[in-house]
Amino acid sequence: MKAFKTLKEKYANELTLACIFIAVFIILGILAPDKFLTAYNLGSMMSQMPELGLLSLGMMAAILTGGMNLSICYIASLSGIFAAYVLSSDFAATNVGIGIAAAIGAAMLIAVITGLINGGVIAYIGVAAMLVTLGTMTLFQGIATNITQGGAISGFPEEFMALGGGNVFGIPVPMLIYIGAIIAAYLLLERSAWGSRVYMTGCNETAARFSGVNTKATVLKVYIFSSVMAAIGGLIMISRYNSARVDYGSSYLMMSISAVVLGGTSIMGGHGSVIGTVIAVGIIQIVTTGLNVLGINRYLIDIIIGAILIGVLAIRFLSRRLSDRNLVKARAAKVGAQ
Amino acid sequence: MKKLLAILLAAVMVFSLAACAGGTDAGGSAAASASAEASAPAADASDTGEPASGAGDGDYKIAVVPKLIGIPYFTQTGDGAKAAGDEIGVEVTYTGPSKADAAEQVKMIEDLIAQGVDAIAVAPNDPAAVVPALEKAKNAGIVCLDWDAPVDNEKLIDASIHQIEDKEFAEHSIDMLVEAMGDSGDYAILTGSLSAPNQNLWIDYAKTYAAEKYPNLNLVTDPIPTEEKQQEAYSKTLDLVKAYPDLKGIVGYATVCPLGAAQAIREKGLQDQIAVVGTAVKEDAQEFIEDGSLDIAFLWNTQDLGALTVKVAKYLLDGNELSNDMVIDGFPDISVDGNVVYLGPPEDYTKDTYK
Amino acid sequence: MVKSLVKKREFTIFMIVVVIAVVIAISNSVFLRPDNIIDVLKSNSVIGIMALGMLPVLISGGIDVSVSSTIALCAVISGKLLTISGANLFVVLIVSIAVGAAVGLANGLIISKLKISPIVATLGTMSIVLGAVLYWTNGEWITNLPEDFKSFGTATVAGIPIQVIIFIALIAVTALILKYTLVGRGVYAIGGSTSSAVRVGYNVDKIQTLIYVFTGMTVGLAAVVHTSIVQQVDPNTFTGLEMDVIACVVIGGASTMGGSGSVTGTVLGVLLMAIMKNGLILARIPTYWQDIVVGLIIVFAVSIDVLNRNREQEKLVRVDVEE
Repeated sequence: MKAFKTLKEKYANELTLACIFIAVFIILGILAPDKFLTAYNLGSMMSQMPELGLLSLGMMAAILTGGMNLSICYIASLSGIFAAYVLSSDFAATNVGIGIAAAIGAAMLIAVITGLINGGVIAYIGVAAMLVTLGTMTLFQGIATNITQGGAISGFPEEFMALGGGNVFGIPVPMLIYIGAIIAAYLLLERSAWGSRVYMTGCNETAARFSGVNTKATVLKVYIFSSVMAAIGGLIMISRYNSARVDYGSSYLMMSISAVVLGGTSIMGGHGSVIGTVIAVGIIQIVTTGLNVLGINRYLIDIIIGAILIGVLAIRFLSRRLSDRNLVKARAAKVGAQ
Repeated sequence: MKKLLAILLAAVMVFSLAACAGGTDAGGSAAASASAEASAPAADASDTGEPASGAGDGDYKIAVVPKLIGIPYFTQTGDGAKAAGDEIGVEVTYTGPSKADAAEQVKMIEDLIAQGVDAIAVAPNDPAAVVPALEKAKNAGIVCLDWDAPVDNEKLIDASIHQIEDKEFAEHSIDMLVEAMGDSGDYAILTGSLSAPNQNLWIDYAKTYAAEKYPNLNLVTDPIPTEEKQQEAYSKTLDLVKAYPDLKGIVGYATVCPLGAAQAIREKGLQDQIAVVGTAVKEDAQEFIEDGSLDIAFLWNTQDLGALTVKVAKYLLDGNELSNDMVIDGFPDISVDGNVVYLGPPEDYTKDTYK
Repeated sequence: MVKSLVKKREFTIFMIVVVIAVVIAISNSVFLRPDNIIDVLKSNSVIGIMALGMLPVLISGGIDVSVSSTIALCAVISGKLLTISGANLFVVLIVSIAVGAAVGLANGLIISKLKISPIVATLGTMSIVLGAVLYWTNGEWITNLPEDFKSFGTATVAGIPIQVIIFIALIAVTALILKYTLVGRGVYAIGGSTSSAVRVGYNVDKIQTLIYVFTGMTVGLAAVVHTSIVQQVDPNTFTGLEMDVIACVVIGGASTMGGSGSVTGTVLGVLLMAIMKNGLILARIPTYWQDIVVGLIIVFAVSIDVLNRNREQEKLVRVDVEE
């Protein structure tokens, strides 16, 4: 019981989110059992979620350091476009295996380059992350538009479609990739030495630097991590959409920031958990899909998402204040008893 | 603990998936029962069975998905679609993404399949991106149509509703430009965005046609993007007329472009020097055409496009085949080529239109 | 005198504006013609007005991404008032500003009383307000505005469009508020350190709320100005505007962490973005390269600014040591 209590305190936020997730899931299940709870719908939600999820994990890492990555959507589409060029080449058509590997390599290469640009300017020149990524957002979009002339690149080998559309043991492949990315993000951010440096830098950069943390290298790696997550998302997108274009996923920017803060990550940096972000992405997914399936007006869905965002954070604040008060009361009672 | 929660979460989803897979057959078989939310009439006669067969009139649910909602063009097509639905007694769901983003559109199509509609008619933001989603729809026994822009897979599409032949439309736009500015001189192109597929297609056809037929026309620069906003079209036009003082004509390929351009021309008093033509919704173009700042606007009848889409969907759901002599109520002028249905020639709006 | 000017934070951005302006002017002399300058100012007056409203928010360490939705709401309400009731300009202006202020008040209260971080609170109101506007209007345009409103839109005073005059007036008002009022100085105090602002005796909650109300009011004003330029209302046209506005303010030297920022810097930021957009077409740069050029200039400008400041800092340290 005591163990449960400490768990409850430590993961209060994640538990609240999980409860909301389950509650929403049950409500939607009751409202539309024949539509929401079908194998098809659950499967399609699982293949939709990874795109936003991966971008949110990338966004979360940047926010953990007190930064921001506004260029994340265009990193996803730019790396997707480079992968698409490899995939649609004659070489990939004849050497499918090597072609797909090369495409993934190309996407990762773009991820590392864009990460180095963002992270380099942020960490080593010291410009605010928001400003840098605001600039690179336009830059990456411009590059993507320039090389594609605004058109789509398509004509991928059949086998590549498995990445976005395949199933293993009934679970969509994108979901499996996403789960892999979640575990990797968890291990890297919350269990590795680099991860603790990330949190330290986010809490107080000066203090971290004086306690011997190479904050510059840490932040640089954060933006590479962020880009890599985006690039994986980009690969899933081009596979799911069978083509690549500059504006794929451009509507995910604000949504990924919402997911991260809904998941309990502090916008000032230093606090937040991978699992919180993951549950928040899940909530956004089931709410949007659920309301779509119920045939609710698209605009009302926006209103509801906004209300949930403010509502959850208001509850979080009020409950924290309540527990603070109880703590004070308990202490006062103790003092009084003495 | 956190890891555990993650696994638990995944497990819950997988479990419920497996549980449901046992119950219903895979895919959103169109169980026509009303959702708790929809105020559907108590006409849910068919519980099982293929959506395309069985079920009499009034039971069909047809989803029409525009590129995005909330812009006048797609509001009008939606009005046409919904009116046609009322007229022939089918339930029309008109819903789309709030931004012209292929990712959001695919998600909506997937959700509509889950909703259990009988037909999906999509105006794709990208011709290739919607293919995997429509394959899923096809597997679930849903009739698939495209409209406004073609989907990049003819086998998948039961009927393709084209407002007009793209090449013909592009050539028409250049002919109209020449009519307004004469067959020689500098001209510029305004477009909604550099990545809008059908606008890019029209622009490519238009450029080739202009170069061949009117060699004295000179395109001064690449197409100018306007973010699909009238304000942008306005300020870009102000810049254009100064950057290229010899400019004689502007052609706009998104419904906001000719309006913004015309506004800039009106403000600068250049009505007589610079001709503006382009695609625009009839009502919005009126004031600019009447004062001469916009010379010719052209567009197909937007309401008809939506209506025709719904009617063809119903026609197919009734088990009919497309053919050259098919009869669609209220559309005597349509022509059919394979699985492509053409709405008919565009309408030109000039000063005479509003008299 | 010159030295202190050079040391000012705004100097770097000022120099960048000058350099870009010179480059454009060399490639096309039309750029410096008065009518072009007036066109540029008029086209960018809306962003300029909103940027001035955003400035105090950023100085206080906050952010307001809901402005793009709020301006849509205000513009729709103004448009409906103009077409349905034929209300006169003055009433429309008051109502629009009041509506903006109401949204700002909601933002301010959520942020100050519920202690929700500004970006989250305004992300929430952004999606609620825009959702509500589009649900209400279905994205329908409002056209056929009354003639006297249209003539207001094209009105000029001494050859300067009315929109530019409003922008300039707001520059003065904002500068005065920030410099000479208690609330204005409180804005900087909160941005520097909230806890010390409390200790000095500022009513932080009240000032914070007022900041967002001010932003809302400028957005209400911007809505009418925008409508007077475009002469129709398209509820969907404002998406993404918040980023343009924030970009102008931060490029003008306001820190997203709060505590710094000035009216001069913001105006320079607006000018930089404006002449880039205008100049790229005048300089006949192909459209497929324009975003790349803009992105590079932004990254370059902000980096140069920081590098300069770091060098200044080092110099100061060295002077300290030598002395």
